[in-house]
Amino acid sequence: MTITDKEAAQKRTAMLADLRKERREKVEHAQSLLKGQQAVRKTLSRVMQGEPRSIPEIAAATNLPPHEVLWHITAMKKYGEVVEDGMDEDFAFYLYRLAKEPIHE
Amino acid sequence: MTNTLKIDALVVGGGIAGMQASLDLADQGYQVALVEKNPSVGGMMAGLSKVFPTLDCCSCITTPKMSAVAHHANISLMTYSEVQSVMGNEGDYQVRVMKKPRYVIEDECSGCRSCEMVCPLDLPDYDNEYGRGAHRVIYVPFSTAVPQKALIDIDNCIYCGKCLKACTTNAIDFAQQPEYVNIETTSIVLATGYKTTPYDAKKEYGGGRLRNVVHGMMVERLLAPTGAYGRQLRPSDGRQPDNIAYVQCAGSRDLTLGVDYCSRVCCMYAIKQAMLLAGALPMADITIYYMDIRAFGKGYEQFYENAKAMGIQFVKGKVARITEDENQNPILRVELIDQNSRVVERKHDLAVLSVGMLPGFDPNSMYGVPVDKDGFIKAPNPNISPTLTMREGIFATGTATGPMDIVDSIITAGAVAAEAAAYIQSHNGHRQLVAEQTERSVTHA
Ligand SMILES: Cc1cc2nc3c(=O)[nH]c(=O)nc-3n(C[C@H](O)[C@H](O)[C@H](O)COP(=O)(O)OP(=O)(O)OC[C@H]3O[C@@H](n4cnc5c(N)ncnc54)[C@H](O)[C@@H]3O)c2cc1C
Repeated sequence: MTITDKEAAQKRTAMLADLRKERREKVEHAQSLLKGQQAVRKTLSRVMQGEPRSIPEIAAATNLPPHEVLWHITAMKKYGEVVEDGMDEDFAFYLYRLAKEPIHE
Repeated sequence: MTNTLKIDALVVGGGIAGMQASLDLADQGYQVALVEKNPSVGGMMAGLSKVFPTLDCCSCITTPKMSAVAHHANISLMTYSEVQSVMGNEGDYQVRVMKKPRYVIEDECSGCRSCEMVCPLDLPDYDNEYGRGAHRVIYVPFSTAVPQKALIDIDNCIYCGKCLKACTTNAIDFAQQPEYVNIETTSIVLATGYKTTPYDAKKEYGGGRLRNVVHGMMVERLLAPTGAYGRQLRPSDGRQPDNIAYVQCAGSRDLTLGVDYCSRVCCMYAIKQAMLLAGALPMADITIYYMDIRAFGKGYEQFYENAKAMGIQFVKGKVARITEDENQNPILRVELIDQNSRVVERKHDLAVLSVGMLPGFDPNSMYGVPVDKDGFIKAPNPNISPTLTMREGIFATGTATGPMDIVDSIITAGAVAAEAAAYIQSHNGHRQLVAEQTERSVTHA
């Protein structure tokens, strides 16, 4: 008996719901990490709308510690959401901007 | 699910020593199983940028070997696997191996990373980037990983199902369970390698507390084109450093840490990194604070001389303490040995701790193989047979036996393959003789 795409999707959704219920504590922890990350990324994306910026500039504009900004920018660069775009006048810091066509949805 | 495998040699640990030993045995026609606890083979070498003293690209040497062990007809490669028990005796060991669940069916995964691209959560990559970079909850460990297969960090999964939708080969299996393999083997080769001295072990150096105090492996990742930043940046703020200090013997020859031996590679890797940093950051000042420089191998002294000629500063001095200023610049308090032990404070913008080597694994309880006072595997005759252990049929190679560089790890891998091959031959030959004698006596009866 073959199952339709719709039936397969329903089965998948039910299985995921079961897994979320079964592993609730861990899922809740991961969800809170994701929420935190989404909030930071939203702020970063907002301040990176215009000209390319350095880590300290982004940190100052977002009130986030520079090392945290660096970690997020590193992650976003790895997954194609941010690109490097030159250096500052003193050749001390690289500048970053949002990628035109992010790979991440 | 349990499978059974009958082989000549089980190699435990898939770093350069274990991979080379496996290849040397397999090329002679022996059946080998290579068990690696991490999701990829390669060991520490897979994380290095370039190698001293030739400055060859490390991936260019390691990746072909990683690929060769995965494709060799005589090698069964088991990654993300651990030995659970070892039974039996000389020449006749029964070993149980557990394959940990990746939650991805290895045979189905094509390593395309579509799942990774849609996964919504980034986590710090501690395994490969020492927390500086990130990977997703579902991820392929690194770009040259072998096998190129994804795995899921199940404890951080929210089961959103995006990976399931993105995977075109239906490789994801959230219900995956550990699998077991029973192995019958004539010999065992331990190639379990080393770990570095924790860089926060010496509290006065501030490792793990001061952001711009890093360790040697972190700098390897700063220098590797595949590293997290893809650049040489300070972890505190992403600035290019231009005054870098190396602190030698930061975890070796130090009785306060219980490590009285020299780790043998730190002088050379510091010199290598200093030269590579000087190439990448031509305006940077680089100072190496050392007690003695031990450039012991072929071409190593010349390498040291080249570094001096490039303008790397070598200062004979012992660093007592590292603090930082308001801009998170490390301040080193140094006793200058060559200047009547005068104590000075020097400001740098990045400090690198040249951490040493500790044994990666204690095989005593599982394999009945004792270790020396330093924790590395004990050899009954270290001068004549450095790859033998105190237990017949069990051999050791690479940094599992003591600190050494890649060249020596490869040499001892060749040596262990020769010892193990001779043992397998004599043992299997003996077994065949006994079988023939038994058959003869039965026929004559
Ligand atoms: C910062 C730094 C830079 C260096 N640069 C150089 C250089 O330029 N040139 C050079 O010659 N040397 C260099 N070295 C030294 C080099 O890294 C080692 O000589 C070499 O990697 C040792 O290889 P190995 O196979 O013995 O150990 P490892 O690389 O440690 O491999 C051991 C493997 O065994 C696995 N393992 C451990 N326990 C188990 C277990 N119980 N079950 C299954 N698997 C297990 C581990 O996961 C690992 O994959 C450097 C070292 C450092 C710290």
